[in-house]
Amino acid sequence: MKKLNIIISIVFIIFSCFYAFLTTNLPARNLPNTLGSDFMPWLLVICLFFLSALLLFKTLFMVTSEKCDYKISMKEGSGIIFLTILVFLYVKAMNMFGFISLTPIFIAVLMFISGSRKWKEVVIVAAVVTFGIYFFFSKVFRVPLPEANIF
Amino acid sequence: MSGTVIAALVDVLQIHNLFASAVGVVFGLFIGSTPGLTISLGMVLLLPITFKLSAVTAICLLLGLYASGMTGGSISAILLNIPGTPSASATAIDGYEMAKKGRAGEALGSAVSSSFFGGMFGLACLASISPFIAKVALKFGAPELFALVLLGITLICSFGQRSVIKGLISGVLGLIVMTVGLDPMMGTPRFTFGVVDLQAGISFLPAMIGLFAIPQILVGIAGKVPVIPEYNSKITSVLPKIRDIIKLIKAMLLGSSIGTGIGAIPGAGGPIAVFLSYDYARKISKKSDNFGKGEAEGVAAPESANNAVAGGALIPMLTLGIPGDPITAILLAALMIQGLVPGPLLFQQTPQFVYSVFWAFLVANIMNLCLTFSTIKLWVRVLKVPERILLPIITSLCVVGTYALRISFFDTGVMFCFGLLGYFMKRYGFPIVPMLLAIILGPNLEEHLRISLIISQGDPTIFITHPISLIFIIISIFSFINPLITPAMKTKLKNICKIWYR
Repeated sequence: MKKLNIIISIVFIIFSCFYAFLTTNLPARNLPNTLGSDFMPWLLVICLFFLSALLLFKTLFMVTSEKCDYKISMKEGSGIIFLTILVFLYVKAMNMFGFISLTPIFIAVLMFISGSRKWKEVVIVAAVVTFGIYFFFSKVFRVPLPEANIF
Repeated sequence: MSGTVIAALVDVLQIHNLFASAVGVVFGLFIGSTPGLTISLGMVLLLPITFKLSAVTAICLLLGLYASGMTGGSISAILLNIPGTPSASATAIDGYEMAKKGRAGEALGSAVSSSFFGGMFGLACLASISPFIAKVALKFGAPELFALVLLGITLICSFGQRSVIKGLISGVLGLIVMTVGLDPMMGTPRFTFGVVDLQAGISFLPAMIGLFAIPQILVGIAGKVPVIPEYNSKITSVLPKIRDIIKLIKAMLLGSSIGTGIGAIPGAGGPIAVFLSYDYARKISKKSDNFGKGEAEGVAAPESANNAVAGGALIPMLTLGIPGDPITAILLAALMIQGLVPGPLLFQQTPQFVYSVFWAFLVANIMNLCLTFSTIKLWVRVLKVPERILLPIITSLCVVGTYALRISFFDTGVMFCFGLLGYFMKRYGFPIVPMLLAIILGPNLEEHLRISLIISQGDPTIFITHPISLIFIIISIFSFINPLITPAMKTKLKNICKIWYR
């Protein structure tokens, strides 16, 4: 935990410097007795820098009882990356293939990676959930869900 | 006055509002009784729907969920020894012992009755205290309001967190997120990088859905960590006898009082209230030796406390615009979606809506009692729904829900980014609630700060020359410093004691 906290505090110190750099591009105060758009960001830069430095100091020089399982296993890491790519592809392809045709596939893939191996269960759940969401959002609340645009 | 109260009651008793309340209660029981699904998650899943509803219907739906989610949490706590919500943790101690001895029905009956009692007690306090607090808060100016929002954020950052510094960093990161978009006072774009979608700022709704729902999905699907265990048992009668309820009155009163009081303190939250009430109930009980071995009073006290917390937490949310816990933070967001700004002005400008909230909470509690008793066997079966079915459904709802906000997948992307951020924050010991609260309250904080400094012509002493503002700032500083110095003081005291005993 100690090593992790040191890394985290250094990352936040670097981030506060980067945020400060971005803040320098904001317009400063241009009217008397007013505060410019950069006032709040500068205040936050100082707060984040101070707190990150405090976390670093506390981790280096004080005993901490904080414990957490910070190691992400290969399996979990690859699972997260796969899920991120899957959601990205689902969202990107939605405008082309539409909600109705893509969502059952998306749910079926998610069920499969969650451990569902009964194909009947997968088909029924994917179809019912897709229809339920479509009916609820599109018909009841009149939210226009993406339609197939491939042809 | 009485006309407004009656008009609010008539509004809440409209068939569509009663239906919304019933839907909220049923959904809350489902969410609460399923371990791994939290009330906050249930709320954020319903938020996109509230866009299309009137303010009263939306509040009926969400308060129904709030009231029943707390009760639903006790079902899995009693039957599985796994609390459905963190607030049901103390219920598991005696509830599970009762279930093991074949008294699951009695334990569930006590839990549901106590929840109703706690909910009604919290509501009575809410309805009687709120108008007075709102009256006082109406006199607050920009410096007091700034100090109040600051107090709300720092209390949430420091109270009950493992690391105060990490809590505060999380809060500051939330405020940094809030600075993206057009400057609220000058209209200058800040950190938009030329992206048009960022000009309106980062909406708190996708952020909220991402922070609450996605980490759970990632843990469940990607990490394959089981959150819903299997359960095999049958429940017979759950309706408690009147004489059994009378025996529990003392524990319920104690739990309700503690729950309401703790709930009203921003940041304290349900888990503290339930353990405090359990401990005090044990101390004053004639059967204190039976606590931990299956005592009904050990179920009644925490259960009444966790439902009373709801009423208590609504007090600062409605009167001051400061949420007491993550759930009221989401409720606050729901009201803001409807164009209502919780705080003292809500009582002055829309009194009928405030009374509608009170009536809606009453209806939610009554519906919760009736529906829980009549459908409890169904919720016992819900424990058997596997997560391989639940998690894909939640994922789809999150994607469609965020898309529906502005008919744009930009918000879905924002939701997923916040989800990943929330996952790593949780993993590395950073609480997500301070970030969420900072995103919601951040614009108010900046606005009041800048108005105060304009009034004082840039003189920051305005915050200490106003007595109320000074008090709030002192409490904020104390809440930040206290957890930092307490461990050091404890070590020092231990060393002194060692020297003394030598």
